Amino acid sequence: MFSRHPLSSTCAGIGLRTPHYQDVIAARPEVGFLEVHSENFFGDGGQPPKYLARFREDYAISTHGVGLSLGSTDPLAANHLQKLKRLVDAIEPVLVSEHLCWVGVNGRFLNDLLPLPYTPESLEHVVRRVGEVQDFLKRPILIENVSSYLEFVDSNIPEWEFVRELASRAGCKILLDVNNIYVNAINHDFDPLTYLNAIAPGSVGEIHLAGFEDTGEILIDTHGAAVSDAVWRLYEYAIARFGAVPTLIEWDTDIPALPVLLGEAHKASRILNASAQRLGHAA
Amino acid sequence: MLRDTQISVAASLLAGDTAIAAQIRAGKLSAARRIEIYRHNVFANLRGALKDIYPVVLAVVGETFFLRAADEHARAHPSRSGDLNRFGGDLAVFLGTYPHAAALPYLPDVARLEWAWHEAFHAADAQAFDLADLAAIPGDGHAALRFLLHPTVRLIKSQFPILRIWEVNQPAFRGEMEVDWDAPADALLIRRDTTDGVTVLIERVPAAGFAFLGALKKNATLDAATSAALGIDAAFDLQGFLLESVRKGVISDFMKQ
Repeated sequence: MFSRHPLSSTCAGIGLRTPHYQDVIAARPEVGFLEVHSENFFGDGGQPPKYLARFREDYAISTHGVGLSLGSTDPLAANHLQKLKRLVDAIEPVLVSEHLCWVGVNGRFLNDLLPLPYTPESLEHVVRRVGEVQDFLKRPILIENVSSYLEFVDSNIPEWEFVRELASRAGCKILLDVNNIYVNAINHDFDPLTYLNAIAPGSVGEIHLAGFEDTGEILIDTHGAAVSDAVWRLYEYAIARFGAVPTLIEWDTDIPALPVLLGEAHKASRILNASAQRLGHAA
Repeated sequence: MLRDTQISVAASLLAGDTAIAAQIRAGKLSAARRIEIYRHNVFANLRGALKDIYPVVLAVVGETFFLRAADEHARAHPSRSGDLNRFGGDLAVFLGTYPHAAALPYLPDVARLEWAWHEAFHAADAQAFDLADLAAIPGDGHAALRFLLHPTVRLIKSQFPILRIWEVNQPAFRGEMEVDWDAPADALLIRRDTTDGVTVLIERVPAAGFAFLGALKKNATLDAATSAALGIDAAFDLQGFLLESVRKGVISDFMKQ
């Protein structure tokens, strides 16, 4: 059985966090889909799964993992994978995604999205791991590019090539976080358009947008502000290149009232609709 | 090679040293500063997880104390899962040995109560069973029965009035915050309400009832659990307590042996 609600590519979704649960149930806002952090629904029972079942009645659900530690050289945590599979089997999300990062090593977790050195060894490792996860879940997943505040001396593959190769070799889709591309472009001094131009149209299954904080010395991907103008421009470029790809607004710190978040989603929807119409005219 | 890098990065982030600086490109910011940014993020995430699980400990000790303790706890009892909901179960143990908390001897038990609440919130659902199923068991089979507690049930005993401390530190609490430190020891039952399936309830139970449930939790037969209860209070209304526990779903299943 498939989720009742299909994924919309012209109506943007929102990352759903607990402060908005009641408001979403009460207002039933028009959004393309709801995305939740997978690990928040790893519990065995009680309120979280009940809420998720409730949201699933009205919306397409996407699950976004933050803790699988795909890039770690530790074996994949069997328990974590099993809980992810239980969730995916129960909810049948329209999209299942993880991050291109590592979260811990030697059994010790740092619980932050740590970047990999972009090397042939890392690429081979992550390609194999994505394969393991997709085999276990029996469905394709999407892998998100992460924001980063450091680069390894050993890195000898540009991040955009690494992401492109990963998708092509592992048979996964890319969850392209346009804000993360912008943050990295400023932090590591590259042209974000070079990144977008390197990604193959057709390989992007979802786009994330969020706000960052400029500390003066570096951009920090806080998910705690409105999407910046520069990122909106980059997003328009991305949509022109990749077409109307399902888009999600994330807001995780200093979470605003629901209408503010919905305003951001509607802004993305307008860009998606304009693109879909242009394509319609061209056809 | 990748593994070596990850092991040294993790060690540097936790220890706060710059041993991996040579492996990181400097550019606009020094390698040391970049490591510092990640260390800040790592500890901020772990602090956030503990703040969510331990709001009462936080309210009792205040933000400054809590965050310092949280960071030391994270070094002593590292996270073992990518799921932050599983992090922090050792806070009570940590607080019991934390010199700065020595003046607050009740604090570890408050932390145990909050972890129990957290576990009860996420534990599996189970239906209460029908008393008629129990009535169908012939009398001579009763002694060997093993009752199973609802998966959400946690039992905590403290010489301190931790339930009162918990209550007066709830955001919705109004009234006198006074705590009676001479109150009798708390024997607490933590579980989810089986009526709505979501609300975590904390209640005091009589010492004999606590011993009874504790024995059941350790898989004792009805016979052995009864002895444990009556050993504490020979006049205890065990049958009443047992039926009430079944009715409320504290006991959610049984096995014939």
